[in-house]
Amino acid sequence: MNVGLSDADLAPRIAAGDREAEAEMCRRMVPRIRLYGLRHLRSPSAADDLVQQVLLKILEALRAARLREPDKLAQFVLGTCRMTVLDLQRSSYRQEELLATFGGDLVPDPPPMPRLDDRRLARCVQALKERERSVVVMTFYDEQTAAETARFLGISEANIRVIRHRAIQQLRACMGATL
Amino acid sequence: MTTPHLGGPNDCPNPIEAAVLMDYWLAALPSAAEEAVEQHLMTCDGCGDRLREVIAMAEGLRALARSGSLQVVISDQFVKHAAETGLRVREYAPPRGEGVPCTVAADDDLLVARLAVDLTTASRVDVSWCDPRGIEHQRMPDIPIRAEAGSVICQQSITWAKASPSVTMIARLFAVDEKGDERLLGEFTFHHTRTIPGPPGWELT
Repeated sequence: MNVGLSDADLAPRIAAGDREAEAEMCRRMVPRIRLYGLRHLRSPSAADDLVQQVLLKILEALRAARLREPDKLAQFVLGTCRMTVLDLQRSSYRQEELLATFGGDLVPDPPPMPRLDDRRLARCVQALKERERSVVVMTFYDEQTAAETARFLGISEANIRVIRHRAIQQLRACMGATL
Repeated sequence: MTTPHLGGPNDCPNPIEAAVLMDYWLAALPSAAEEAVEQHLMTCDGCGDRLREVIAMAEGLRALARSGSLQVVISDQFVKHAAETGLRVREYAPPRGEGVPCTVAADDDLLVARLAVDLTTASRVDVSWCDPRGIEHQRMPDIPIRAEAGSVICQQSITWAKASPSVTMIARLFAVDEKGDERLLGEFTFHHTRTIPGPPGWELT
Protein backbone atom coordinates (compact mmCIF):
# COMPACT_ATOMS: atom_id res chain seq x y z
CA MET A 1 0.00 0.00 0.00
CA ASN A 2 2.66 2.50 1.05
CA VAL A 3 5.54 0.83 -0.78
CA GLY A 4 5.35 3.16 -3.78
CA LEU A 5 5.36 6.31 -1.68
CA SER A 6 8.40 8.52 -1.38
CA ASP A 7 10.00 9.19 1.99
CA ALA A 8 8.40 12.66 1.88
CA ASP A 9 4.95 11.14 1.44
CA LEU A 10 5.36 8.97 4.51
CA ALA A 11 5.97 11.71 7.06
CA PRO A 12 2.52 13.41 6.91
CA ARG A 13 0.79 10.02 6.90
CA ILE A 14 2.60 9.02 10.06
CA ALA A 15 1.60 12.33 11.63
CA ALA A 16 -2.00 11.49 10.70
CA GLY A 17 -1.77 8.19 12.57
CA ASP A 18 -1.22 5.83 9.62
CA ARG A 19 0.42 2.77 11.22
CA GLU A 20 1.15 1.17 7.85
CA ALA A 21 3.12 4.25 6.88
CA GLU A 22 5.07 3.88 10.13
CA ALA A 23 5.86 0.29 9.31
CA GLU A 24 6.97 1.23 5.80
CA MET A 25 9.18 4.02 7.15
CA CYS A 26 10.78 1.57 9.58
CA ARG A 27 11.27 -1.02 6.85
CA ARG A 28 13.10 1.53 4.72
CA MET A 29 15.16 3.19 7.41
CA VAL A 30 16.32 0.18 9.42
CA PRO A 31 18.96 -0.98 6.90
CA ARG A 32 20.18 2.59 6.34
CA ILE A 33 20.46 3.40 10.04
CA ARG A 34 22.14 0.07 10.69
CA LEU A 35 24.79 0.72 8.04
CA TYR A 36 25.48 4.09 9.66
CA GLY A 37 25.79 2.31 12.99
CA LEU A 38 28.14 -0.35 11.61
CA ARG A 39 30.37 2.33 10.13
CA HIS A 40 30.55 4.49 13.23
CA LEU A 41 30.17 1.97 16.05
CA ARG A 42 31.99 -1.00 14.49
CA SER A 43 29.72 -3.50 16.20
CA PRO A 44 26.60 -5.27 14.92
CA SER A 45 24.99 -5.25 18.36
CA ALA A 46 25.76 -1.55 18.88
CA ALA A 47 24.37 -0.86 15.40
CA ASP A 48 21.18 -2.72 16.33
CA ASP A 49 20.89 -0.60 19.49
CA LEU A 50 21.36 2.52 17.41
CA VAL A 51 18.60 1.43 15.03
CA GLN A 52 16.19 1.04 17.89
CA GLN A 53 17.04 4.35 19.52
CA VAL A 54 16.95 6.33 16.29
CA LEU A 55 13.65 4.79 15.14
CA LEU A 56 12.02 5.57 18.45
CA LYS A 57 13.14 9.19 18.32
CA ILE A 58 11.99 9.57 14.73
CA LEU A 59 8.62 7.96 15.35
CA GLU A 60 8.10 10.17 18.35
CA ALA A 61 8.89 13.25 16.26
CA LEU A 62 6.82 12.19 13.26
CA ARG A 63 3.78 11.24 15.32
CA ALA A 64 3.95 14.66 16.93
CA ALA A 65 4.28 16.27 13.45
CA ARG A 66 7.53 17.92 14.47
CA LEU A 67 9.14 17.38 11.05
CA ARG A 68 8.11 20.58 9.25
CA GLU A 69 9.70 19.70 5.89
CA PRO A 70 8.69 16.13 5.03
CA ASP A 71 11.04 16.01 2.05
CA LYS A 72 13.92 16.25 4.50
CA LEU A 73 13.08 13.01 6.29
CA ALA A 74 16.37 11.40 5.23
CA GLN A 75 18.40 14.35 6.52
CA PHE A 76 16.41 14.23 9.74
CA VAL A 77 17.20 10.54 10.15
CA LEU A 78 20.88 11.13 9.39
CA GLY A 79 21.04 13.99 11.89
CA THR A 80 19.33 11.84 14.51
CA CYS A 81 21.87 9.06 13.83
CA ARG A 82 24.74 11.49 14.40
CA MET A 83 23.28 12.89 17.60
CA THR A 84 22.48 9.44 18.93
CA VAL A 85 25.98 8.13 18.28
CA LEU A 86 27.35 11.16 20.12
CA ASP A 87 24.93 10.56 22.99
CA LEU A 88 25.61 6.85 23.33
CA GLN A 89 27.80 7.31 26.36
CA ARG A 90 25.08 9.19 28.17
CA SER A 91 22.47 7.81 30.52
CA SER A 92 20.19 5.16 29.09
CA TYR A 93 17.20 6.82 30.80
CA ARG A 94 15.86 8.42 27.60
CA GLN A 95 16.02 5.17 25.70
CA GLU A 96 14.18 3.31 28.44
CA GLU A 97 11.52 6.02 28.53
CA LEU A 98 10.95 5.79 24.78
CA LEU A 99 10.98 2.01 24.83
CA ALA A 100 8.31 2.06 27.51
CA THR A 101 6.23 4.38 25.33
CA PHE A 102 6.48 2.64 22.00
CA GLY A 103 8.02 -0.78 22.55
CA GLY A 104 10.56 -2.30 20.24
CA ASP A 105 8.29 -4.39 18.07
CA LEU A 106 8.27 -1.95 15.14
CA VAL A 107 11.88 -2.74 14.33
CA PRO A 108 12.05 -5.26 11.48
CA ASP A 109 15.03 -7.51 10.94
CA PRO A 110 17.85 -5.87 8.99
CA PRO A 111 18.90 -7.37 5.65
CA PRO A 112 21.49 -10.11 6.07
CA MET A 113 25.13 -9.35 5.34
CA PRO A 114 26.44 -10.98 2.13
CA ARG A 115 28.37 -14.21 2.59
CA LEU A 116 31.90 -14.37 1.29
CA ASP A 117 33.84 -17.40 0.08
CA ASP A 118 36.80 -17.13 2.45
CA ARG A 119 38.99 -19.65 0.61
CA ARG A 120 38.44 -17.91 -2.68
CA LEU A 121 39.23 -14.57 -1.07
CA ALA A 122 42.49 -16.01 0.29
CA ARG A 123 43.45 -17.23 -3.18
CA CYS A 124 42.60 -13.84 -4.66
CA VAL A 125 44.69 -12.00 -2.06
CA GLN A 126 47.62 -14.36 -2.57
CA ALA A 127 47.41 -13.62 -6.31
CA LEU A 128 47.91 -9.87 -5.78
CA LYS A 129 51.28 -8.30 -6.42
CA GLU A 130 53.57 -8.25 -3.38
CA ARG A 131 53.20 -4.53 -2.75
CA GLU A 132 49.40 -4.67 -3.06
CA ARG A 133 49.19 -7.66 -0.72
CA SER A 134 51.29 -5.88 1.89
CA VAL A 135 49.07 -2.81 1.69
CA VAL A 136 45.90 -4.89 1.94
CA VAL A 137 47.12 -6.94 4.91
CA MET A 138 48.40 -3.94 6.83
CA THR A 139 45.32 -1.85 6.03
CA PHE A 140 42.76 -4.40 7.06
CA TYR A 141 44.52 -6.13 9.95
CA ASP A 142 43.65 -3.30 12.26
CA GLU A 143 42.38 -0.70 9.82
CA GLN A 144 45.80 0.90 9.77
CA THR A 145 45.79 4.37 8.27
CA ALA A 146 47.30 5.19 4.91
CA ALA A 147 49.89 7.31 6.74
CA GLU A 148 51.18 4.34 8.76
CA THR A 149 51.38 2.10 5.73
CA ALA A 150 53.01 4.89 3.72
CA ARG A 151 55.76 5.23 6.33
CA PHE A 152 56.60 1.54 5.97
CA LEU A 153 56.67 1.60 2.19
CA GLY A 154 58.38 4.97 1.94
CA ILE A 155 55.78 6.31 -0.49
CA SER A 156 53.05 8.93 -0.23
CA GLU A 157 49.65 8.40 1.34
CA ALA A 158 48.10 9.18 -2.02
CA ASN A 159 50.07 6.31 -3.56
CA ILE A 160 48.90 4.00 -0.80
CA ARG A 161 45.30 4.87 -1.65
CA VAL A 162 45.99 4.21 -5.34
CA ILE A 163 47.54 0.82 -4.53
CA ARG A 164 44.65 -0.01 -2.19
CA HIS A 165 42.02 1.00 -4.74
CA ARG A 166 43.72 -1.06 -7.42
CA ALA A 167 43.97 -4.06 -5.11
CA ILE A 168 40.31 -3.81 -4.10
CA GLN A 169 39.29 -3.56 -7.73
CA GLN A 170 41.29 -6.70 -8.54
CA LEU A 171 39.91 -8.54 -5.55
CA ARG A 172 36.36 -7.67 -6.53
CA ALA A 173 36.98 -8.88 -10.06
CA CYS A 174 38.61 -12.05 -8.73
CA MET A 175 35.64 -12.63 -6.42
CA GLY A 176 33.24 -12.16 -9.29
CA ALA A 177 31.70 -8.92 -8.02
CA THR A 178 29.60 -7.24 -10.63
CA LEU A 179 29.09 -3.86 -9.03
CA MET B 1 27.59 12.25 -6.24
CA THR B 2 23.90 13.08 -6.33
CA THR B 3 20.88 11.98 -4.44
CA PRO B 4 19.12 9.67 -6.86
CA HIS B 5 15.61 9.59 -5.49
CA LEU B 6 13.68 10.18 -2.34
CA GLY B 7 13.33 6.74 -0.90
CA GLY B 8 12.15 3.41 -2.17
CA PRO B 9 14.06 0.26 -3.02
CA ASN B 10 15.06 1.25 -6.56
CA ASP B 11 18.38 0.73 -8.30
CA CYS B 12 20.69 3.72 -8.13
CA PRO B 13 21.31 5.74 -11.30
CA ASN B 14 24.41 7.34 -9.76
CA PRO B 15 26.03 4.56 -7.75
CA ILE B 16 28.92 5.35 -5.44
CA GLU B 17 32.12 3.68 -6.62
CA ALA B 18 33.19 0.64 -4.66
CA ALA B 19 36.55 2.27 -3.91
CA VAL B 20 34.79 5.26 -2.37
CA LEU B 21 32.55 2.98 -0.32
CA MET B 22 35.63 1.13 0.91
CA ASP B 23 37.28 4.43 1.84
CA TYR B 24 34.08 5.38 3.64
CA TRP B 25 34.16 2.12 5.58
CA LEU B 26 37.83 2.66 6.41
CA ALA B 27 37.10 6.23 7.58
CA ALA B 28 39.55 7.41 4.94
CA LEU B 29 37.36 10.02 3.27
CA PRO B 30 37.61 13.76 3.86
CA SER B 31 34.71 14.99 5.99
CA ALA B 32 32.87 16.68 3.09
CA ALA B 33 33.02 13.50 1.01
CA GLU B 34 31.92 11.43 3.99
CA GLU B 35 28.96 13.76 4.49
CA ALA B 36 27.97 13.36 0.84
CA VAL B 37 28.22 9.56 1.05
CA GLU B 38 26.09 9.43 4.19
CA GLN B 39 23.40 11.66 2.72
CA HIS B 40 23.31 9.45 -0.37
CA LEU B 41 23.16 6.24 1.66
CA MET B 42 20.28 7.57 3.71
CA THR B 43 18.15 7.69 0.56
CA CYS B 44 19.59 4.91 -1.59
CA ASP B 45 19.09 1.24 -0.82
CA GLY B 46 20.98 0.15 -3.93
CA CYS B 47 24.18 1.74 -2.66
CA GLY B 48 23.37 0.41 0.80
CA ASP B 49 23.44 -3.09 -0.67
CA ARG B 50 26.76 -2.27 -2.32
CA LEU B 51 28.15 -1.01 0.97
CA ARG B 52 27.12 -4.26 2.63
CA GLU B 53 29.16 -6.13 0.00
CA VAL B 54 32.12 -3.84 0.66
CA ILE B 55 31.80 -4.42 4.42
CA ALA B 56 31.69 -8.18 3.86
CA MET B 57 34.89 -7.96 1.83
CA ALA B 58 36.56 -5.73 4.42
CA GLU B 59 35.63 -8.12 7.21
CA GLY B 60 36.87 -11.05 5.15
CA LEU B 61 40.16 -9.29 4.51
CA ARG B 62 40.51 -8.42 8.18
CA ALA B 63 39.98 -12.03 9.20
CA LEU B 64 42.43 -13.17 6.54
CA ALA B 65 45.06 -10.65 7.61
CA ARG B 66 44.72 -11.82 11.22
CA SER B 67 44.77 -15.50 10.32
CA GLY B 68 48.50 -15.50 9.58
CA SER B 69 47.81 -17.73 6.60
CA LEU B 70 49.16 -15.36 3.95
CA GLN B 71 52.69 -15.10 2.68
CA VAL B 72 53.37 -11.38 2.69
CA VAL B 73 56.04 -8.79 3.39
CA ILE B 74 55.13 -6.76 6.47
CA SER B 75 56.58 -3.96 8.56
CA ASP B 76 58.36 -4.14 11.91
CA GLN B 77 55.60 -1.99 13.37
CA PHE B 78 53.01 -4.46 12.12
CA VAL B 79 54.79 -7.33 13.91
CA LYS B 80 55.00 -5.33 17.14
CA HIS B 81 51.37 -4.34 16.90
CA ALA B 82 50.29 -7.92 16.27
CA ALA B 83 52.16 -9.05 19.40
CA GLU B 84 50.67 -6.17 21.44
CA THR B 85 47.18 -7.14 20.36
CA GLY B 86 47.63 -10.64 21.69
CA LEU B 87 48.85 -12.64 18.72
CA ARG B 88 51.60 -15.15 19.41
CA VAL B 89 54.40 -14.34 16.99
CA ARG B 90 57.10 -16.90 16.14
CA GLU B 91 60.06 -15.08 14.66
CA TYR B 92 63.35 -16.29 13.20
CA ALA B 93 66.24 -14.08 12.18
CA PRO B 94 69.17 -16.14 10.91
CA PRO B 95 72.40 -14.23 10.22
CA ARG B 96 73.07 -13.62 6.54
CA GLY B 97 74.62 -16.69 4.94
CA GLU B 98 73.73 -18.93 7.86
CA GLY B 99 70.93 -21.22 8.91
CA VAL B 100 68.61 -21.53 11.86
CA PRO B 101 66.59 -24.45 13.22
CA CYS B 102 62.92 -23.55 13.39
CA THR B 103 59.48 -24.91 14.13
CA VAL B 104 55.99 -23.75 14.95
CA ALA B 105 53.74 -24.62 17.87
CA ALA B 106 50.03 -25.25 17.71
CA ASP B 107 49.22 -21.98 19.46
CA ASP B 108 51.44 -19.78 17.28
CA ASP B 109 49.51 -17.19 15.28
CA LEU B 110 52.12 -15.59 13.07
CA LEU B 111 55.38 -16.89 11.62
CA VAL B 112 57.86 -14.30 10.43
CA ALA B 113 61.36 -14.41 9.01
CA ARG B 114 63.55 -11.36 9.52
CA LEU B 115 66.08 -11.18 6.69
CA ALA B 116 68.80 -8.59 7.34
CA VAL B 117 70.33 -7.23 4.14
CA ASP B 118 71.65 -3.95 2.82
CA LEU B 119 68.84 -2.50 0.74
CA THR B 120 70.41 0.88 0.06
CA THR B 121 71.62 -0.01 -3.43
CA ALA B 122 68.56 -1.93 -4.60
CA SER B 123 65.57 -0.47 -6.39
CA ARG B 124 63.80 -3.78 -6.91
CA VAL B 125 64.18 -6.81 -4.68
CA ASP B 126 62.89 -10.36 -5.24
CA VAL B 127 62.71 -13.11 -2.63
CA SER B 128 63.34 -16.57 -3.99
CA TRP B 129 62.45 -19.62 -1.88
CA CYS B 130 64.61 -22.61 -2.82
CA ASP B 131 65.26 -26.11 -1.58
CA PRO B 132 68.78 -27.27 -0.62
CA ARG B 133 69.36 -28.38 -4.22
CA GLY B 134 68.90 -24.81 -5.32
CA ILE B 135 65.61 -25.43 -7.07
CA GLU B 136 63.33 -22.43 -6.76
CA HIS B 137 59.87 -23.28 -5.45
CA GLN B 138 58.48 -19.81 -5.15
CA ARG B 139 59.42 -16.26 -6.03
CA MET B 140 58.08 -13.09 -4.51
CA PRO B 141 58.89 -10.48 -7.15
CA ASP B 142 59.37 -6.77 -6.44
CA ILE B 143 58.63 -6.88 -2.75
CA PRO B 144 57.97 -3.60 -0.91
CA ILE B 145 61.21 -2.34 0.61
CA ARG B 146 62.43 0.72 2.44
CA ALA B 147 66.09 1.37 1.71
CA GLU B 148 66.99 2.42 5.24
CA ALA B 149 65.16 -0.49 6.89
CA GLY B 150 68.13 -2.85 6.73
CA SER B 151 65.91 -5.91 6.68
CA VAL B 152 62.92 -7.54 5.05
CA ILE B 153 60.26 -9.10 7.25
CA CYS B 154 58.47 -11.90 5.48
CA GLN B 155 55.40 -13.48 7.01
CA GLN B 156 55.12 -17.14 6.10
CA SER B 157 51.80 -18.94 6.12
CA ILE B 158 51.35 -20.36 9.61
CA THR B 159 48.79 -22.75 8.16
CA TRP B 160 51.38 -24.10 5.75
CA ALA B 161 54.09 -24.27 8.42
CA LYS B 162 51.90 -26.19 10.87
CA ALA B 163 51.15 -28.84 8.26
CA SER B 164 54.59 -28.92 6.66
CA PRO B 165 56.90 -31.90 7.10
CA SER B 166 60.42 -31.31 8.34
CA VAL B 167 62.14 -29.50 5.51
CA THR B 168 64.99 -27.12 4.74
CA MET B 169 64.17 -23.98 2.78
CA ILE B 170 66.51 -21.25 1.65
CA ALA B 171 65.44 -17.64 1.18
CA ARG B 172 67.55 -15.72 -1.32
CA LEU B 173 67.15 -12.00 -1.73
CA PHE B 174 68.12 -10.59 -5.10
CA ALA B 175 68.48 -7.03 -6.28
CA VAL B 176 67.08 -6.91 -9.81
CA ASP B 177 68.09 -4.15 -12.21
CA GLU B 178 66.24 -2.70 -15.19
CA LYS B 179 67.71 -5.34 -17.50
CA GLY B 180 66.52 -8.14 -15.26
CA ASP B 181 70.02 -9.01 -14.04
CA GLU B 182 70.13 -10.31 -10.51
CA ARG B 183 72.60 -9.63 -7.72
CA LEU B 184 72.48 -11.74 -4.55
CA LEU B 185 71.92 -9.59 -1.47
CA GLY B 186 71.71 -12.38 1.07
CA GLU B 187 70.86 -16.00 1.68
CA PHE B 188 69.15 -17.43 4.75
CA THR B 189 68.50 -21.08 5.55
CA PHE B 190 65.59 -22.38 7.61
CA HIS B 191 65.73 -25.94 8.93
CA HIS B 192 62.10 -26.53 9.76
CA THR B 193 61.28 -29.40 12.10
CA ARG B 194 57.71 -30.50 12.35
CA THR B 195 56.61 -30.73 15.98
CA ILE B 196 52.84 -30.77 15.62
CA PRO B 197 51.37 -34.26 15.22
CA GLY B 198 48.96 -34.71 12.38
CA PRO B 199 48.45 -36.32 9.01
CA PRO B 200 51.51 -37.06 6.89
CA GLY B 201 52.90 -34.01 5.21
CA TRP B 202 54.16 -33.71 1.69
CA GLU B 203 57.57 -33.90 0.15
CA LEU B 204 58.98 -31.04 -1.88
CA THR B 205 59.77 -32.20 -5.38
